[in-house]
Amino acid sequence: MVVELAKPRPIWQIMFSTHHTDVGLLYLILSLGFLFLGGALALAIRAELFLPGAQIIGDAMTFNRIFTVHGTTLIFLFILPFASAVGNYYVPIMVRYKDMAYPKLNAIAFWMIPPGGALIWLGFADFTWYATPPYSIISAPGPAADMWIFGLKILGISSVLGAINFVVTILKCKHPDMSIGQVPLLAWSFLASSLIILVAIPTFAAALLMLLTDRLGVSGFFNPAMGGDPIAYAHLFWFTFHPEVYVLVIPAIGMMYEIIPRFSRKPIYSYNSGVFAFVLLAIVGFSSWAHHMYATGMSFTEKTVFMVGTLAAVPASAMHVYNFVATMWNGRIKFSTPMMWAVGGIALFFSAGAGGVANAAMPLDFSTHDSYWVVGHFHLFVMGTIAFGSIGFLYYMFPYVTGRMYNETMGKVHFAMSFIGTILVFFTQHVLGLYGMPRRVFDYPPIPEWIAMNQIASIGAMIIGVSMVIFLANMIYSSGKGPLADTDDPFGVGGKYYYPFEAKNPHH
Amino acid sequence: MSNETEHPKGEAAHPVYRTTPARTGKMLVIMLGICIVGGAIFFGMWDYWISQPPPVVAMMSGGDDHGGPAAHTGDTISSDLSFIESSDFRTLAFNALPGESGNNPSIQMSVGDKVVFNVVNDGRSFHSFGVTHDDEGFSGIIPGSEVASASNPLKAGEGGTSEFVAGEEGIFYYICTVPGHREQGMVGTIIVGDVAAPEPVVETAPEPVVETAPEPVVESAPVEFSGVISLPEGSGAPGCDETNECYIPFNVSVSAGEEITWSNDDSAAHTVTSGSPAEGPDGNFDSSLFMAGSTFSVTLDESGEYPYFCMVHPWMIGNITVN
Repeated sequence: MVVELAKPRPIWQIMFSTHHTDVGLLYLILSLGFLFLGGALALAIRAELFLPGAQIIGDAMTFNRIFTVHGTTLIFLFILPFASAVGNYYVPIMVRYKDMAYPKLNAIAFWMIPPGGALIWLGFADFTWYATPPYSIISAPGPAADMWIFGLKILGISSVLGAINFVVTILKCKHPDMSIGQVPLLAWSFLASSLIILVAIPTFAAALLMLLTDRLGVSGFFNPAMGGDPIAYAHLFWFTFHPEVYVLVIPAIGMMYEIIPRFSRKPIYSYNSGVFAFVLLAIVGFSSWAHHMYATGMSFTEKTVFMVGTLAAVPASAMHVYNFVATMWNGRIKFSTPMMWAVGGIALFFSAGAGGVANAAMPLDFSTHDSYWVVGHFHLFVMGTIAFGSIGFLYYMFPYVTGRMYNETMGKVHFAMSFIGTILVFFTQHVLGLYGMPRRVFDYPPIPEWIAMNQIASIGAMIIGVSMVIFLANMIYSSGKGPLADTDDPFGVGGKYYYPFEAKNPHH
Repeated sequence: MSNETEHPKGEAAHPVYRTTPARTGKMLVIMLGICIVGGAIFFGMWDYWISQPPPVVAMMSGGDDHGGPAAHTGDTISSDLSFIESSDFRTLAFNALPGESGNNPSIQMSVGDKVVFNVVNDGRSFHSFGVTHDDEGFSGIIPGSEVASASNPLKAGEGGTSEFVAGEEGIFYYICTVPGHREQGMVGTIIVGDVAAPEPVVETAPEPVVETAPEPVVESAPVEFSGVISLPEGSGAPGCDETNECYIPFNVSVSAGEEITWSNDDSAAHTVTSGSPAEGPDGNFDSSLFMAGSTFSVTLDESGEYPYFCMVHPWMIGNITVN
């Protein structure tokens, strides 16, 4: 899966290259590898929950380790690196610069991810992706927990370095003839998400260090036995990770902004509203973190503030959806695979957002908190919106990356099965939460409704699993033996593409 | 290869190179290699990575008072210990009952020596093992020296191994860490260095029951049962059976389908297990170990006699009559 920009090179030259498309390729392969690893863990979780009692996972602690690493992997080792892959391929071309602003920093940011991922996977910690204190401090066994903390630390630094690079590339290295108002929306999405990273991540970096020193016993920030407060960790964590949700979703929306006008054969309905919505999301993303903590005994005033802050994200999200629908309206839409993923992603984005609005209302939140509703809600975002946008964009990039076309039928089957599977799993989980099933449980009482809904969700997950096998086969086969792509217009929809072959300075 | 590089429209400024099966294969081989090496480490070290408690745990429990874990610099001593019980369960010991040879063997070692314990539960009740520096009680267990724990003990016939490395001179004790068992005689000394061998103060286990303990009078008339059966304070030590006050009331009669609740009002963990200490559990019901302050409930639908006992403290017996 290696496109040759100038001439065929040994693979090690690509691995140790600092060129943006080479680093982008490394990001792409790494993120896809972790997509399949993390997805396998998801299937193990769903197989375990198919029936009450222990099925395939021996004990509750192993189950905890599996869902901890599942979440950590898919967020930090699939979604973020995948966005970086797209950014590396496209942002320098979109701003018409020869490379990223700091090529070596770019390569360093990538090469921090494999050690971070190795620490997380080898340790296989068990304290959830939230690293729940005080459990994570006084009970979670090491060295796995310490490895997770160091792994996340490394991945956080990598994100910050990547974000600096994107911000400088877009703001300082864009072509002098190009105003910031002409930068394509995909590049704008990287600017917005990178700015969020720069503001949000340092808080979590501090919280991780505090967690580590608490574990070592030299401090007691979050350790109640030493006078600390676990709720303080909740604030620090969610101050980073609620905005992080927008870090994940904004590039995916940016990718849809690239796909939808192309396959609708119309220009984007409103470029300015897209830019405005990105910037607005990046700002209001910081006004809602404590909605994860309504149940921790906050005052009514605090809860009201964060409820309003949460709802402030609705207009910005709705602006994007409106923009997509208006772009498709009256377009000559060609439903190739990338377009199907993008449109399916918009539909699920709308559904997830509707659930989010309901959930942001604090009275309802008390009955959904820590239930499967929450699992269904955020998975509908990360799978239904972010992964759909990302996978759609992967199909869109495929001919540019390999010079070959993927198999269109297999791509459409992949979409149809994933779409049905996603609805079966995550819509059902919303209802399951309303029936009272708590999240993060290894076993559950044999209540007939719970069993039925868990089985629907598990079957949905297996459908997604099968579709991902089809996807993998398609990617591997087509990258080696697929038909040659027309590199000027691989999808036959006309128009000007942003095209990695246009990369300047292709082998330095 | 030439057709591979040719642009379909022939208009490109430079040739377009495309991925070949060979290069895709190379990439897959690299990824497969990473997965094999990574997978070997992953599965090979699966348990190791969760083997250490966080350091703050030792500090919060005052772990600096308890010697080890220390560096192993000297000899390795092997010690085989088995948990045994007298027939009435009042006297507990390692290897042999008090008065017989080999009872609670003392271990002499130097600083830096390592003892490897092979422990086996040859009794019928539940036991667990550990080494402590404290001269009474069941806390301060030195990390690494424990086999099972009071909340997850060794059942009859089970066993395990552990290690203890002496970090300082002094007297250590190997004990059964189930609350109460040390006081009943499951304790032996470990003498590290040239410390004077102590008077066996802890070995105050009674003589192998010379006075004939009165048989618990299970046959007395069942009392009408209302509410809750209490496991009173002190039922973890033998003696409560003399007055049939290990479960209060110890003999109850209920109607079929009525819920029976046991409340553990003692400071130790207990079980409510149907059967008798002599014949073991009969499988009708079993609370397994439930902690001080918690309760256990059961509903019996078939009429009959249901004797029950505590697996940890087998002198504790009770009886339920279902009408």
